[in-house]
Amino acid sequence: MVLYGMLITDLCVGCTRCVPYCPSGAISIGKDKKAHIDRNKCVECSVCYNNANCPVNAIQLEELEWPRSVREVFATVYKEHKQTNVPGRGTEEMKTNDVTGRFRPGEVGFSVDMGRPGVGVDLKDVEKLTMALAKVGVEFEPLNPLTFLMSDKKTGKLRDDVLSERVHSCIPEFKIREEKFPEVLEVLQRVSKEINSVFSLGICVKVNPDGSVPIMKYLDEHNIYYRPNGKTNIGIGKPAAKF
Amino acid sequence: MTHTLHRSGTVESLSIDYPILVIAAQGINSKDSAPKFRKALEIILKHNPVNFGDMRTGNYFRKGLKPILNSTKENSIVHGVFTNKKDLEECLKELKEADLGLSVVVSGLFSEVWPTLKNIGLKPHSLNISLGVFGKKELLPEQDILDITTMCGHHCVSPLLVKKMISDIKRDKISIEEAARELAKPCVCGVFNPLRAEELLEKILKKSGG
Repeated sequence: MVLYGMLITDLCVGCTRCVPYCPSGAISIGKDKKAHIDRNKCVECSVCYNNANCPVNAIQLEELEWPRSVREVFATVYKEHKQTNVPGRGTEEMKTNDVTGRFRPGEVGFSVDMGRPGVGVDLKDVEKLTMALAKVGVEFEPLNPLTFLMSDKKTGKLRDDVLSERVHSCIPEFKIREEKFPEVLEVLQRVSKEINSVFSLGICVKVNPDGSVPIMKYLDEHNIYYRPNGKTNIGIGKPAAKF
Repeated sequence: MTHTLHRSGTVESLSIDYPILVIAAQGINSKDSAPKFRKALEIILKHNPVNFGDMRTGNYFRKGLKPILNSTKENSIVHGVFTNKKDLEECLKELKEADLGLSVVVSGLFSEVWPTLKNIGLKPHSLNISLGVFGKKELLPEQDILDITTMCGHHCVSPLLVKKMISDIKRDKISIEEAARELAKPCVCGVFNPLRAEELLEKILKKSGG
């Protein structure tokens, strides 16, 4: 798969149309009155190319080389990852749990959506989190695209050659036994103060046959915030997983 | 992939926001599923979605109806966005009856979605719960902007574009409806809710005296 990045060519007439479309705020107008992309901020999401309708087609694609190509892998939504055949930045998670049985009763799945919403994240900050999680025994989801960037899955260490890259978002993903939840949450809270970014935290659980959700009871009892809205798998996929 | 999990906003505002997705489990029930995804989209379209799309093709506002319907694949993930429980319920009922074998996930207020499932003889199987945002929150845009941009979970809708649309509405260059549609375009999956965006834009304009 060829990976592409964004390039604003000399054709630019400085109309500024593309500037607000960039989710990373990476496009600005220079002293030469033309648009320029800050390559450090740009996460190669191609939103400018696909949506700004540049009147002179000044935004063009350039083939990306490793390791910068990592940015595009974690930014372009519609391209599937060759290892999972799943488009996007993560995996099927709980979306197919009615068929895969991936999350069993008593287990909690975590998706730590780093860089989201809209801030972006340096992979060296991602490594801080994955290494801290690995220290408490977390095992990362093998099919998640981020796990493929780890040089050591046991320690959460990322490959050295990607550490200077920045991505729109990426998702350390793992599951634990429910009793380990407080320990993992403490690690996430601690590392959140050490990174120059944000993350949105999601957890996945199987609902009990009687409709109860033990983790929600725990969250309520410990005054841990959760949103009133979320995702509900309605259980009509087939063949149904056995629990 | 948590692209409809972290939508922010008040309960009142979220009460008109129900995206659904239909997905196959790769390697289990994905074989020959492309026509099933088309069928799922056809069902979604019968129940007044304000946006729809396929993660492999794009959303209605950029791609139009036919390219999405005609391009479903075995690894499609198709979406529809509903703004009321009646349409949501009717759509889910028909998807259940169609028995496509694909997994269906509904996003929205748990307090509204679960009774809706009960009405059609279904109950929650698995949940994805958002514990919110952690870290350097000072890097985030204002909350009322976030309430709009988080409707694209992959964050392809730029806060700067929201501000540009607000400025254009104030200068009568564009209507609120046109602004909401423009904001929906970068959201590839088609999960951005333009009707809710209109309401949120109106609220921002009112607050700023626009």
